[in-house]
Amino acid sequence: MRNTNKSLIAVAFIALLSSCVTPVLKSVAYKKLYSEAPKTILIMPPINKSTNVEAKEYFHSTLSVPLANQGYYVIPPFLSMEILKKESAYNSELFVGNPLDKFGEIFGADAVLFTTIHKWSKNALLADVTVDVEYTLKSTKTNNVLYTRRGTIIYDASVNSGSNSAAGFATSLIASAIKTAATDYTMVARKCNVYTLSDLPTGKYHTKYKIDGKENAGPKTFRANVR
Amino acid sequence: MRKFLLITTSTLLLASCVAGPKPLYNWDKYEQVSYNYLKTKNDKTSKALLEDYKKMMAKPNGSRKVVPPGINADYGFMLIQAGKSEEGRTFLEKEVKLYPESKIFIDRILLMTAETK
Repeated sequence: MRNTNKSLIAVAFIALLSSCVTPVLKSVAYKKLYSEAPKTILIMPPINKSTNVEAKEYFHSTLSVPLANQGYYVIPPFLSMEILKKESAYNSELFVGNPLDKFGEIFGADAVLFTTIHKWSKNALLADVTVDVEYTLKSTKTNNVLYTRRGTIIYDASVNSGSNSAAGFATSLIASAIKTAATDYTMVARKCNVYTLSDLPTGKYHTKYKIDGKENAGPKTFRANVR
Repeated sequence: MRKFLLITTSTLLLASCVAGPKPLYNWDKYEQVSYNYLKTKNDKTSKALLEDYKKMMAKPNGSRKVVPPGINADYGFMLIQAGKSEEGRTFLEKEVKLYPESKIFIDRILLMTAETK
């Protein structure tokens, strides 16, 4: 038993280590982003392929904060939304594979962020929300993909009753079910954004601008549990 | 003792991955109120968003101590939509002063609102 415990600890340690350490540097993984050094980003309305009709709004309203906090100038979201609608450019799917120079011309954007929500499902019994989301930052100058990451993020909304008894389990199950139903979904989107965009090399307003290339890059596709 | 050491080491390991510095800006309740406004536009949600903009502009915090990108512009835009064109335009100009890279876009908006005056 002691041996099993020890090996379990060892495994946990290795898992911890490997989740932090990857051999690729950001300067290598995001080479084009470092060479183009975009300063301004336009957020496009998310492309929603999930069955949750509201997922688009959850993401749209929570993207500008993490991008700005990473040191980028984010084109004013409500003002740009209005212009996109006016120019009949509100459907992101029409632009994702096409030249984006017009966006540079009209918005002064160096890069455009596309977000695709592939899946958004909640499991009341397990009290979690699973989101599969993909982010792609494309240059308006070269049309290059500067950053892309796709992640499956499992948001744990369970309530821990702190008891191991059967009654405690039942109570926490009910509490969890209630909490899932009322989960603040903008919070789920926010966690997904922050987690996935945290790997984005910083922009000009950040203290780490141009020096974070020495940091290790996270994996391009990943799976993560957040609370 | 050994257990304690182990816990400490793993906590340190975790912290080295997760911990970050103070954010560049203070956003108050922006994400929540902007979502509410995006979802349903009515007097209540637009008032809440306007109030939040004002709060962020009055007390810029975070490590940069500057109003976050877009806030002055979106606030000015809401004023223009509410018919307060002159006042709104001054906030658009403030955005350009604070963030010169917004000039291309904001100048376009200024021109558009001047035409419809």
